[in-house]
Amino acid sequence: MLEARDLSKTYTSDGVDYEALKAVDLSIGQGDCLAIVGKSGSGKSTLMHLLACLDAPTKGRVFIDGNDTSSLSERSKNTLRNEKFGFVFQQFFLNGRDTVFDNVVLPMRIRGASSSQINAETTAALSAVGLEDKINKKAKDLSGGEKQRVCIARALVGGPQIIFADEPTGNLDSNTGAAVENLLFDLNREKGITLVVVTHDDELARRCNRVIEMKDGRIVAEHRMEATAG
Amino acid sequence: MKTWDLVKTANRNLFRNKLRTFLTVLAIFVGAFTLTMTNGVGDGMRDYVESQVKNIEGDRAIIVRKKVDRPQGGARAGTPQEYKESNGEEELEFDPNTILMTQPQIDAAVRGLEGIKSITPRYNFKAEYISVNGGKKYKADLASLSEGITAKTDAGTGLNGDGQIVIPSGLAKTLDQNIAGLIGKTATVGYKLPDGSIKTLDLKVVGVATKGFMTNYSSFVDTATARKLHDDQKNASVPDQFIAFTVQMETNDAAKINAVKKALSEKGFEADTIADNEKRTYDAIGIFKTGMNLFAMVALLAASFGIINTLVIAVLERTKEIGLQKALGMGRGKIFAIFSLESVLIGFWGALLGALGGIAAGLITNKVLVKVYAESFEGFSLFAFKPFSIAGIMLLVCGIAFIAGVMPALRASRLNPIESLRYE
Repeated sequence: MLEARDLSKTYTSDGVDYEALKAVDLSIGQGDCLAIVGKSGSGKSTLMHLLACLDAPTKGRVFIDGNDTSSLSERSKNTLRNEKFGFVFQQFFLNGRDTVFDNVVLPMRIRGASSSQINAETTAALSAVGLEDKINKKAKDLSGGEKQRVCIARALVGGPQIIFADEPTGNLDSNTGAAVENLLFDLNREKGITLVVVTHDDELARRCNRVIEMKDGRIVAEHRMEATAG
Repeated sequence: MKTWDLVKTANRNLFRNKLRTFLTVLAIFVGAFTLTMTNGVGDGMRDYVESQVKNIEGDRAIIVRKKVDRPQGGARAGTPQEYKESNGEEELEFDPNTILMTQPQIDAAVRGLEGIKSITPRYNFKAEYISVNGGKKYKADLASLSEGITAKTDAGTGLNGDGQIVIPSGLAKTLDQNIAGLIGKTATVGYKLPDGSIKTLDLKVVGVATKGFMTNYSSFVDTATARKLHDDQKNASVPDQFIAFTVQMETNDAAKINAVKKALSEKGFEADTIADNEKRTYDAIGIFKTGMNLFAMVALLAASFGIINTLVIAVLERTKEIGLQKALGMGRGKIFAIFSLESVLIGFWGALLGALGGIAAGLITNKVLVKVYAESFEGFSLFAFKPFSIAGIMLLVCGIAFIAGVMPALRASRLNPIESLRYE
């Protein structure tokens, strides 16, 4: 469903070109659980940004359900990200002074959904992460693990096909990190949501059924680990 | 995002930093308050002048005077004038006779003009006293209304025949609280003849004039009566001379009035309708009002920099949030709209509070002034507040706030989502 062909990205700063990504080909299927690993500077975040249409490639194309995204307008890309993608970042990017509800509801508000739809979807997303009882709490009053679960609920609301998770456990201790991982894998297994995880945590990567390893802007290895998840 | 959601989001963002928002609103408040006050003074002056001049009416009358040039070779303002040894003859710099017109001159002026119904010279006369129904004698200030010009009346009618008089309401109220009861009574006017003796003339009271600049103290008599008084009082050895005359047109057709005005102007006369004179006054008030408002605009200009400052800081503070919103699919337009709305909301609250504060301060000032100056300026309010003006001020302030918000809002809308999410 998500395919990258000959994907390259070159950043220019102070007149010096830096090739962050060099002719990467990648195909991600419906329901895949894919980990992108590598050291910092290996190009794994750049690859995720390009796949998620957050950035435009210098060369190459990204296809979603067979459609070339390079021909899409900015508005269409916004709609695509809003409706088909969910995002979980290492930093939570929550609004501490707002309630859990107000934080989770953001993608639905951006979409312009009706208030009944917003209420239903938000409640469903919060119960999926086990935080339905915290719906009216201020986000700043939650623990780190709870905050990241709120972020997952925000990624989940509105029914995305793919969740992009950029170092989702990077800010959490191992116990709460494990709980968040479980939650993501459950969503992948039970709801069939495609999961793309960027991480340098090998343990997290090993729980995915596909791992691609990156170095200097290229995919250097790919492992398929059937039935290891869980 | 729905429009209402945008407004709610913008409003919530403003409440996140209450002190900063309050201070920015305060600056706008000061500007809006000042603008409300300055505009209110202008409107108040206009209202007062309007209430005073509207009592004299005449939509087909043209008042004509001789055009007088500045004396030749007069010194410029401020420059000292050199003293010259007099050669014995008195140099008259300005001859009052140059503005006077004789009847033949008036006849020559209007000869050949079309659409004229009548010509009334400005008769010169002076009365000593007036008494109504043989009662107490009061000092009289007597004037005439030329044909084509009427004074509004509180009771009775305007002048419509010979031997009539319209008395001012002040005099009427002194004579009889029920001013309508005076209509039809006889007013006796006493006036001096050239030999110093007093002669009287009985006139019929037909109306009581509504208050105004000219109608507060003066009684008005018809043209024929004015002519009689003038003839009795004039010095027989000098020919009749008048400082002005009034042309009454057959209709109020603007094209014909303008044609006559133009023709008279070409012949060296100043010809103005009552509307022209009023317009000149209103224009002067308008210029005054604009000048005052400019001061208030300076305050608003300063305050708009406060808005820019506040929003630029807000954009920096919320860079990550903007990055997230963009990643989650919010378009540039919506980001721009949220920041613009914040700007306009600051303007709106400042304008609303400023207008309300200005109105309150103006109304209180009016009350105080009425107590202090009520006798000299009856019916005068220093400040007048019209819904249309207030709405205009609020719209203007919101517009200025919007313009102030454009730069920060554009900055926010152009942020790159990835860089913004990484912003520290």
